[in-house]
Amino acid sequence: MVLPFGLLMLTALLVSLAVARQAPSEPIPGRADIITIDGLRAFGPLERPPVVFFHGKHTEALAKAQKDCLACHPQGEKYLSLKYNRTADTDKQAVMDVYHDGCIGCHADYRSQNQPSGPVTCGECHVAEKAVNNIRAGIGLDKSLHYRHVKAAEQKCERCHHAYNPETKQLYYDKGKEGACLYCHKDQTQENRIAYRQAAHLDCVGCHRELSLQKKTAGPMECAGCHDPEAQALIAKVADIPRLERNQPDVTLVKAHREDEKVDAQKPRMALVPFDHLKHEGATQYCRTCHHAELTSCASCHPIQGHADGKMVKLSQAMHEQDAQMSCVGCHTQKQLRAECAGCHASMPAEKVWAGEAACKVCHMPQEAPVARPGYEMLASEMAASLIDARRQIPPPVAVEDIPETVIIDHLVDAYEAVKMPHRQIVQKLSDLMRDDALAAAFHTQPTTFCQGCHHNSPASLKPPQCGSCHGRTSDAMNLTRPGLMAAYHEQCMLCHEKMGIEKPANRDCTACHAKRAETARNN
Amino acid sequence: MGAAGVVGATSRTARAASNKQFKGYADSNAVLHDMTRCIGCRRCEAACNTVNELPAPEQPFDDLKVMEAWRRTTARTYTVVNQFFPDGDTLPPVFVKKQCNHCLEPACASACFVKAFTKTPEGAVIYNADVCVGCRYCMVACPFDIPAYEYHKALDPKIMKCTMCHPRILEGKLPGCVEACPTEALVYGKRDELIRVARDRIHTFPDRYLDHIYGEHEMGGTSWLYLSGAPFEALGLREDLGNKAAGEYTSGALGAVPIVIGLWPVLLTGIYAINKRKEKIAAEERAAAVSEAVDHAEVQAEGRLKAALEKAEQDKAAAIEREFKKALEAEAKARLASGGSETGDGEKA
Repeated sequence: MVLPFGLLMLTALLVSLAVARQAPSEPIPGRADIITIDGLRAFGPLERPPVVFFHGKHTEALAKAQKDCLACHPQGEKYLSLKYNRTADTDKQAVMDVYHDGCIGCHADYRSQNQPSGPVTCGECHVAEKAVNNIRAGIGLDKSLHYRHVKAAEQKCERCHHAYNPETKQLYYDKGKEGACLYCHKDQTQENRIAYRQAAHLDCVGCHRELSLQKKTAGPMECAGCHDPEAQALIAKVADIPRLERNQPDVTLVKAHREDEKVDAQKPRMALVPFDHLKHEGATQYCRTCHHAELTSCASCHPIQGHADGKMVKLSQAMHEQDAQMSCVGCHTQKQLRAECAGCHASMPAEKVWAGEAACKVCHMPQEAPVARPGYEMLASEMAASLIDARRQIPPPVAVEDIPETVIIDHLVDAYEAVKMPHRQIVQKLSDLMRDDALAAAFHTQPTTFCQGCHHNSPASLKPPQCGSCHGRTSDAMNLTRPGLMAAYHEQCMLCHEKMGIEKPANRDCTACHAKRAETARNN
Repeated sequence: MGAAGVVGATSRTARAASNKQFKGYADSNAVLHDMTRCIGCRRCEAACNTVNELPAPEQPFDDLKVMEAWRRTTARTYTVVNQFFPDGDTLPPVFVKKQCNHCLEPACASACFVKAFTKTPEGAVIYNADVCVGCRYCMVACPFDIPAYEYHKALDPKIMKCTMCHPRILEGKLPGCVEACPTEALVYGKRDELIRVARDRIHTFPDRYLDHIYGEHEMGGTSWLYLSGAPFEALGLREDLGNKAAGEYTSGALGAVPIVIGLWPVLLTGIYAINKRKEKIAAEERAAAVSEAVDHAEVQAEGRLKAALEKAEQDKAAAIEREFKKALEAEAKARLASGGSETGDGEKA
């Protein structure tokens, strides 16, 4: 364990020499067009390392020579084959020969014409470790991009959307059942479904190419056009996107059962949850953010008891799982990370936020549902609408004169003078930030709810207790989880400022909050 | 106030290398340093300087520029706060206070052959300059590079390191740095309790903290515990130390030293004692043999005497008998010679 000192020194010297000898390496330029050619994996273990191939480099070089995709990709059934110089993988030797003859042959041609060219020996392509900086970012059709395609395809959904008929083994268009490509096309090819990546490149790039051959406006055909983060940022956004039509409700009651389950409608066990679907459509870029497997109600896969279709995830988990992006609570928890929320919420334990009865009641409306007109069963949508209206009855804010204007913090005056905290200003600033936020309005049920951001661990009220009611002058030996008064103030103010991105006053600029006290005053 | 513990009546010597497992004193104290709360104001440094009466620093404590370079503890500073940028140069930096970690089984103590270091039951590892010979093995041994040496002193240089304000703890006060911390990034209390507090924070704010309490097990455990949101390795806290106390690595080798050294007198004394014992036994045996021999001789002599006396007695009796017989025979002869003495008197006349 303990090396002799001399050996240690020698090691240190060698290490320092080695470090010193390394010239500072140039950063590797990022590429979005890196493809790993390892097609032979299908025929067993590879004999040589797979080839790291820059697709964009080749399209550029070929474009200069007035060649297009056909130079490498033969025509397939509908669009060009995604494979290099072949439409199918027959056997190992054949596939290997295609690459070796094609790549080396082409490189040799370019070489003989004294043009920039690629490698021709084995070791130059089959490199075990190649330093590359892959910046490829995935791309999806968000609402804006989807709408641009809808417009270009003149509402012909069948241009992209299809379903598979196992009897005829044909793709067909199933109107009204459109969904995200990812619902069927997964990471890996499964039976009759090609992998998502193949499906996207086959159809997207294929269609883009056809349109460009017809001299029409078309999307990108080279890798970077879709997958370079900088290029993605340049994709035009449609300002006012018309709503996607897929028979979805504007408002609904959250279902708790599958379609085929018998439900005793007379006995709902839980307060009803009205759901404003329209509002949530506006808050997300993709239907699949919530509808992650298919465009049906959550309960069709996640009923109360769970179901194999939904991997036995129960409704309560699907709705409340804090770490899941597509659960209600998970997504709302993410929203609390926004700067205007994080000031208070960063120091609030998540379970405390979500465990209170008040939080449950925000969604689970009490059973005082509006009484249905006699002889008339209220539709779920009508019931939901009226409940949502009831939910939107926001109590009036606290009157300005009820908010203390300035709070003097002088319990601990010693090295520094008292702090004059602009209390009302802070409250009003926070109110302004939340004014137009429906989520904040819904969950901050009382006008005094957000006072509890600072006045925590006490009931919401117009006259909450002062910090000193709980935080002693020094740290509490009996309760080490509760800071003393000075730490409580500093932590509360500083953490909030940090999370809200407020740079001034800086944490270590003591006099920005409290003036330094004269020595003479201190000793009295 | 403070949370100075009740001192248990336990032994006060830090264990030098031995094969005994020592898992810290029950109820000992520690400090929890929560790096997510530290703002890098250096008030702990200033307080440390004041309470330990250390020399004034070259730059004042409110000069935050000194943090631009990494610093270590020196003979004039028991503690320093360093700033790190674990994810590149992004703000805000993470501040890490560096001082003696007060190991449960201190490497410095296990390396010290004069027992200048003591792990006190209150938690502090303290140093006794009176016995220190200045070999500085403790500086080599310390995995955290803490002990510093007064190289600038020609006479009586000492090892300098944080004492966890042991004198103040005994008075029931908080360590100077803890008392001065304006955000309670430093909390002083029972080590077990602080580990619970740390776990509670990790559990309550899983996004804020790494799920690791540095010092809970490192080097067999330390009395200075750290919580962080960034990897400890990126904040200058070594993660390659393992969870064994330094003493456990050296106990095999160093544990043999006192035995070997201590064995000679034992061995020689033993040999001497055995020899002495042998001699004693031999002497005892001889004495016993002699006395036995003497006893035996006496018995034999007595027997012979008795036999002789008996024989003499017998001889005597036989002689008497013989004489008696002789006398009888002589009398009979005489009677025969006179021939009827009643009748024949005249004849001879």
